[in-house]
Amino acid sequence: MSEYSGALPIPSASRELSCRVAIVGVGETDYHLGYKAARSKAPGYQPPTPESLTKTAFERALADSGLRRHDIDGLSVSFIYGGPSPQATAQLLGIEPGLFVEQATSIMAGPLPIACAAIASGKCDTVAMVYAAASRAIGRQYGGRTYEGAAGMPTSYYYYHPWGWSSQAAHWALVWQYYMAAYGATEEDLGSVAIQVRKNATANPNAVMQTPLSMADYLSSRYIVRPLHLFDLCLVNDGAVCLILRRADKARNLPHAPVLVAGWGESKTKNSKLHTLVRERLRPQAQDAGQQALGMAGLSLSDIQHFEGYDASTIHLISQLEGYGFVEPGAGLDFCKSGEMGIGGSLPVNTSGGILSESYMHGWNHVAEIVRQLRHEAGARQIDDVETSMFSLAQTDQVHPLIFRRGA
Amino acid sequence: MTERRPDRALGSVHDEFWSWCDKGELRLQRCADCGRLSWPAVQECEFCGGTRLSWSRMSGRGAIVSWCTFERDYYNGLLPIPHDTILVELEEGPLFLSNPRGFSWREITAGMAVKLAFLDCEDSAGPFRLPVFERA
Repeated sequence: MSEYSGALPIPSASRELSCRVAIVGVGETDYHLGYKAARSKAPGYQPPTPESLTKTAFERALADSGLRRHDIDGLSVSFIYGGPSPQATAQLLGIEPGLFVEQATSIMAGPLPIACAAIASGKCDTVAMVYAAASRAIGRQYGGRTYEGAAGMPTSYYYYHPWGWSSQAAHWALVWQYYMAAYGATEEDLGSVAIQVRKNATANPNAVMQTPLSMADYLSSRYIVRPLHLFDLCLVNDGAVCLILRRADKARNLPHAPVLVAGWGESKTKNSKLHTLVRERLRPQAQDAGQQALGMAGLSLSDIQHFEGYDASTIHLISQLEGYGFVEPGAGLDFCKSGEMGIGGSLPVNTSGGILSESYMHGWNHVAEIVRQLRHEAGARQIDDVETSMFSLAQTDQVHPLIFRRGA
Repeated sequence: MTERRPDRALGSVHDEFWSWCDKGELRLQRCADCGRLSWPAVQECEFCGGTRLSWSRMSGRGAIVSWCTFERDYYNGLLPIPHDTILVELEEGPLFLSNPRGFSWREITAGMAVKLAFLDCEDSAGPFRLPVFERA
């Protein structure tokens, strides 16, 4: 299964689908403890499986939602590197959903709009969305021959093998090398992003990485693909996330404030993919998809109070902030250095640590963090009075934002 | 000396690309409908979907747009670590991912002029000539 194929389009952004569905339950596995156990490999250590991870996340989400098993009438399954069938997953979780929500991708954001459309069309009322990845347990590699034969893969993942060019990181390395020359930026400038996201994670007791990162740590860390250091690239760890979605009119009188799915968008690069990635940094796609999502939600960019961006690398996070227009192209690193991405900044970004420092959950942990922030249950890292959050998935050739609002 | 390289993507249009390389020519597909060049090799023009494509010879002149160096071994020892890769803007427009020959990342600057060369290589499908770039 590919996390990149997009055979099933997400439903078009439309006003009538806005705020029809709320997230009412969230559950995650113990990222920090799981990572520590995987690293220490104590005698008797059993690596987690998609089944064990999913079960934990689902039980926590169900308890969190205040709903009962028989309330769940839809199931959406996202096992990014393989796992049980949807039917076997239902059995594992002890539920009997009437609907298995079809989907093409496992990476957030695609599955969420599809599940929302299923609920809005009346096919079901309450969907459990489960995601799991045992990336570390299976020894997943993110370069070389990893992507051979996967359907729908951008050519950049497999075509340049004879030149020795293939890895996730290499995409962002080309982006960063170009950016440095274009804007006169330095490694220290980019280090500020890794340090800021880590600083956010220090207030998250479930983050894999909670030790503050210094500039000296950053600069002395090894290069993976020069000019990118280890700390410019996301983690590899095991975990699962479960989100429970419910028809918005049935989402009241539950234990937590509902988090409404207000908008979404999707925009893909059709040609000149390396040009669009390296020189334009997907800005045309971010502008297009961002306008779809904001239009659907009836909001403008200045209404967004909290941003969770897909931080596969530090520079890629900055590209998204610049791409949507939160800051001008070339101004993202100064924005970070002035502290604006911190909890008390003008636009808190990746407040739980993202995939750089919290957990590599392919965007699902970003959405879980949005749920906590909009419920005002984020503890030491709570953004004051936050009402509106935006998530952004950006891959090498496509952009998918989601917009959420705190419900009444 | 022939260098061992990771396998090419082969079959149909890809074979045509590599057979031009064997003759010492870098050729990309130009669309008869919109006139634009597609790369990597395609079945249909990546801009307009046109299917009337012909292999157009590139001048071999270009400029470096970006570059990166692999410090982590993703190919199980097949390639030296570190190894450099460059993104070259061909004079005709497309960006072409390649390797530098005769210089390293330490000497590269943005916009540096380069010219085409071919390197004798082999992969599991046999010998082939790999388009790389030297200082212009």
